[in-house]
Amino acid sequence: MTKVASSRWRAFRAAAFYVTATLLVAVWLLPLVIGVFTSLKSMDEIMANPVMWKPPKALRFENFGEAWNRAGMGRYIVNTFIVTIPSVAGALAVSSLAAFALAFYRFRLNKAVLVLFVAGMLVPFQMLMIPVFRMSNGLGIDDSFGGLILFHISFQLGFCTFFLRNFMKQIPYSQIEAPRIDGASDFTIYARIIMPLALPSIAALAVLEFTWIWNDLLWSLVLLRSDAIKTVTLGLANMQGEFITTYNLTAAGSILAAIAPVAVFLAFQRYFIEGLTMGADKG
Amino acid sequence: MAKVELKNIGKVYEGNVRAVDNANITINDKEFVVFVGPSGCGKSTTLRMIAGLEDITEGELLIDGKLVNDVPPKDRDIAMVFQNYALYPHMTVYDNMAFGLKIRKVPKAEIDKRVREAARILDIEKLLDRRPKQLSGGQRQRVAVGRAIVRNPKVFLFDEPLSNLDAKLRVQMRAEIIELHDRLDATMIYVTHDQIEAMTMGTKIVVMRDGKVQQIGSPLYMYNHPINKFVAGFIGSPPMNFLTVKVLDEGGEIILDEGSFRLKPAADHAALLKPYAGREVSFGIRPEDLVVAEGGSAPGGLIKAKVTVVEPLGAEIQLYATTPTQPMVAKIPPHHLYKSGDEIAFAPVMDKARYFDRETELSILPVKFDEQA
Repeated sequence: MTKVASSRWRAFRAAAFYVTATLLVAVWLLPLVIGVFTSLKSMDEIMANPVMWKPPKALRFENFGEAWNRAGMGRYIVNTFIVTIPSVAGALAVSSLAAFALAFYRFRLNKAVLVLFVAGMLVPFQMLMIPVFRMSNGLGIDDSFGGLILFHISFQLGFCTFFLRNFMKQIPYSQIEAPRIDGASDFTIYARIIMPLALPSIAALAVLEFTWIWNDLLWSLVLLRSDAIKTVTLGLANMQGEFITTYNLTAAGSILAAIAPVAVFLAFQRYFIEGLTMGADKG
Repeated sequence: MAKVELKNIGKVYEGNVRAVDNANITINDKEFVVFVGPSGCGKSTTLRMIAGLEDITEGELLIDGKLVNDVPPKDRDIAMVFQNYALYPHMTVYDNMAFGLKIRKVPKAEIDKRVREAARILDIEKLLDRRPKQLSGGQRQRVAVGRAIVRNPKVFLFDEPLSNLDAKLRVQMRAEIIELHDRLDATMIYVTHDQIEAMTMGTKIVVMRDGKVQQIGSPLYMYNHPINKFVAGFIGSPPMNFLTVKVLDEGGEIILDEGSFRLKPAADHAALLKPYAGREVSFGIRPEDLVVAEGGSAPGGLIKAKVTVVEPLGAEIQLYATTPTQPMVAKIPPHHLYKSGDEIAFAPVMDKARYFDRETELSILPVKFDEQA
């Protein structure tokens, strides 16, 4: 191939790349744009003009206030925090202890226990729904924050333990032996050596778990009934009426609900990327 | 201060893999004992059993007369320097050194005093605020040593601490560790596969092979009185030459016949070689004991050989030569002008020669397994 032809080919490839990438981004962003536009329209405008991606004529920011107060989003968001924070903290605390043991202790059933954790991860929700509902009823913890938190923690344990164990496995074993010689107990080694070293993976996991638990609809649906303790996803589902749905308020509520996970993601983004690629190369 | 005794110590790993077999070693107070041997000989496993990082399968381990087989490492009052340093990457140098003391609830002022003292000894005072990542290999090594000395333990354990350093730094750190031993007056156990480190550092050497202790003694004793062919070949660089010779009893006079040359052993050696008359033995001679024969004869006889390679090292020449069948290496003074292909005659120092049984590989001359025992 001549030099000119090759540079033309390169230019064509670059153009093709940018066109495709732009199209993909547009498709990806369209629902978000529609959501933002809808949240700023009046119901009249939505009904009068069904073209969803048309920008609003006038910006009705008061939709957000209405969603927060009248539609109860404020209460739902607070509830979701009450559920999400202890769930994430609990899952991380318990799974990091389990991961520590699985990564560093040599015992007969080590592999078997790990496989059990992974297998637990693979059981589909549909199979667990009814047993979990009956179990929580039987224990009298249904329709309570505590019950939901407990189930969130237990269902996240499999993945969290697997994830953290694999990360900790990359920490050299001498990081256990050196403090042991220095006189540290195993819990001290966990708390003061291994946890600080595993921090990137903990942070990455915290972001993932926060988003998952925050956005969970199904377990809340199964375990919560009272409106006073409902989480955002249930609240949003509630806003779909049988005869009329206030699309603008639902959209505004959705945006409000998305703020927390987005903020958490941005705050921990650095660790997130570091954590997921950790171990890809030694350095 | 501290005496460490290994009595019939053995280690068997899962799957019936034997790493250490019936080790009997006594390490006296203030000794610098080096465990040396090729990789896989069980020296590190032995050290790790002393540290408490490996369970002891059989035998007894005593520190200061107290049985410590089942005592966890933290209660054995030992400190260890690891091969890969094993510094805590998220802590500063200061915190790395202070960690063990903090765990033991030593008062803050005392910790500070000890850390700064250790830093001064090791010349790392300026690095106290840095993290391990910001240090060179040699500096990390110093911190690892510092972490051990602040604890002021009964016994120091070193697991191939210099093997990750470059050659020049290794020589320097070697001297510093020797100096440290003199200064701290501590009991030290040091593992290495490098026989030069063993020779230069140890007050006592333990040579191991295939999980078995071969011989125990001072470096010079080992060098001059190796118990078997393995120890003889392992200690010393370049290694001892082994030439297969036939022992002849010619009317009461013992002669060693190689085919291309004949030698007369030293009188006390001849008596011990007499029972081997008619059989072959390994004649061991150190490279420096192959002296170039200036005249035409020597009382013990001459080895005639052909020069193959000449390596002038400046202060001396390493000269490789071969008889029609057997190669050897000699260390000769630098003024000799030999080149490849030349004929050469050596007058071996027969007093220093060693003899080994061809089958058992054991020394035919009497030697102690444990010099001090």
